[in-house]
Amino acid sequence: MMGDLSGPSPDDALARLSGSLSRARRIGAVVALVAGLAGLVFVGLLWATEPGELPGRTRVAFGGLMALCLVWSGYGGWALTRRVPMFALDRVVAAWIALAASVLTTAGLVAVVPRQGVAAIVGAVLIGVSVVLAVRAHLRRAALLRRKRELS
Amino acid sequence: MADELLVVRCQLGEREALAELVRAWHAPLWTYVRRMLSAGAADDVTQEVWLAVLRGLPRLKEPGRFAPWLFTIARRTVMDRLRHEYGAAEAELTAEPVADDPAAALVDRAELVAGLAGLPVREREILVLFYLEDLSVEDCAQICAIPTGTVKSRLNRARRLLREHLMERGYQQ
Repeated sequence: MMGDLSGPSPDDALARLSGSLSRARRIGAVVALVAGLAGLVFVGLLWATEPGELPGRTRVAFGGLMALCLVWSGYGGWALTRRVPMFALDRVVAAWIALAASVLTTAGLVAVVPRQGVAAIVGAVLIGVSVVLAVRAHLRRAALLRRKRELS
Repeated sequence: MADELLVVRCQLGEREALAELVRAWHAPLWTYVRRMLSAGAADDVTQEVWLAVLRGLPRLKEPGRFAPWLFTIARRTVMDRLRHEYGAAEAELTAEPVADDPAAALVDRAELVAGLAGLPVREREILVLFYLEDLSVEDCAQICAIPTGTVKSRLNRARRLLREHLMERGYQQ
């Protein structure tokens, strides 16, 4: 039980952690979540604001697209909460990706959705949430940088 | 202070700080896990602990209290593994002394280390944390989720058991 105490070296451990520490993997998870949510909102609002009754096959296509977006956003959310660590800089990058996606989605909604008032309100909510996330991420990073300077 | 700075740098997302943190704490973590588990299980569990530490690090509220937080995660992971191995929580906590490897005494570096294998899990754990990891009674209490008074009484009992165990093995008092 207690015999051999020589374990894996720290560099072995680091090598096995490299997947979790990969920045590309973290950004990939953020993109999956943001793109999935943006697609879900876009297709959902487009469908909900259609003035007339849609043909059955179109409804199936809309449903399929929404399911696909739901799967991608679910995967992104799961990866971000359970698989990859999000450090302060990652959160800042993620918040800006979310803000950019929100602006693009809003522009798309206003251009395409028949009821522009609804599109503008939904877009404003998306942009508002993204701005709050970006401000929080920047504040958190600034607090950590301040603490780093104090300790250095 | 140095640990706090390192943890803050990790929370900022500095890759080299993460590598430094793993290099600084891998040996103490391995020592704890290895004292509690067999070599094969210790390897897996140590890696599980590091994964949990990395995932939880961005949310660590008190970077200056990294060591107790690390060992709390390590303890939880070790206990999960022991429960899995022995079947029931109570069974592992009151487990009979683990059978010792006859070769262990030849390679162990100190009497304390040599005697640890013969102790029940609770007593072994508290000796490892307090003596081998140099953690305070307060930190041990936080890690084991017990009052400081219980840590002291458990340490007393562990020392007594260890003394008896070593004397049985022929060590002089």
